[in-house]
Amino acid sequence: MDEHIKEQLESTFKSVVVTIAEDTRIVVNVKKDHVLAVLRFLKDRKFEHLALISCVDWIEEKEFELVYILTDYMQNGEKDTGRESLHLIVKTRIPRQKPLFETVMGVFSNAEPYEREIHELFGIKFEGHPRLIPLFLEREYEIPPFRKDFDTRKYVEETFGNIPSVENNK
Amino acid sequence: MDRNQIKKWFKEPAKMANKYSLHAIYFCTGCGIIEVPPVITARWDAERFGVIPVATPRQANLFLITGYVSVKTLRAIIRTYEQMYEPKYTVGFGSCPINGGMYWDSYNTIKHLDKYIPIDGWIAGCMPRPEAIFIAVTHLWTLIDKGMANAYIKYRENYEFYRRNQEMALGKLEWPPLYPIQSDVRTVENG
Repeated sequence: MDEHIKEQLESTFKSVVVTIAEDTRIVVNVKKDHVLAVLRFLKDRKFEHLALISCVDWIEEKEFELVYILTDYMQNGEKDTGRESLHLIVKTRIPRQKPLFETVMGVFSNAEPYEREIHELFGIKFEGHPRLIPLFLEREYEIPPFRKDFDTRKYVEETFGNIPSVENNK
Repeated sequence: MDRNQIKKWFKEPAKMANKYSLHAIYFCTGCGIIEVPPVITARWDAERFGVIPVATPRQANLFLITGYVSVKTLRAIIRTYEQMYEPKYTVGFGSCPINGGMYWDSYNTIKHLDKYIPIDGWIAGCMPRPEAIFIAVTHLWTLIDKGMANAYIKYRENYEFYRRNQEMALGKLEWPPLYPIQSDVRTVENG
């Protein structure tokens, strides 16, 4: 099954690099233009569950890495093949200077909260997303707080360090 | 009932009644709340100490803050605290409300909770054992006996200060002040 998917991906897309990391885990490196096509291709081959979208800030390489994790456990449950469900990890890189990407909600509609989260914490804008409003945070940040160049200690000292304690109110 | 306390019951019945019927508000912040279900149920049975959980802040007079406080939670904590009846007692549970604990250099966590609402006592530890809650409750009894559990009076007296701190952390607050603020009164008089 692993080899099968690998062959299919490599024969369909020229720029895709597929590595089998473990028995049930396949890493697919994709150029950013082909992400939607690859996801759609995989969805047709029973990888119907988008488990997570994650983001990595590679500050030295000046790139953001977006990670889409897909599983096929739906198909697995139906057939009861006795093997663990397969995890497909689709990775792509976008430049740090221009944090802009397209939404995958057209393929997996449950991407909505994940993309909002990444937009809030990494400042990546997803074109075509219907509501990119804050998900967790209440405060405004100059730099989104999960980027590597966000200095947490300095921020804490500037924001919360100035608030006096009650004993000073005399 | 302890026979030695009968005198106290006649002298200050309201205080004694408060002391032995602490109604704790269910308010789940952070990981410390995991210690509360065993405390209130059969294993440790907080009702032996007169502590019983209630559903809403309007029925409660003990506020346990059980873990790290994010900025969003602080808003809910202040609103909950201001809805409770006096006399009300607050206890910070675990090291995170005390000084931020392991979340000290986090971008979204409140460091010192006592800058925003008054606290009667702290339970140190990460996590404290359920027994620590009972030690805190018995300490609170002593404080109530001696008239030292007066954080809610401190809140009333320093309300302007607390409100200013709350606004520094949360921005503009959308609810009206609980007590009249002196500067507001002055502007009304002048205007």
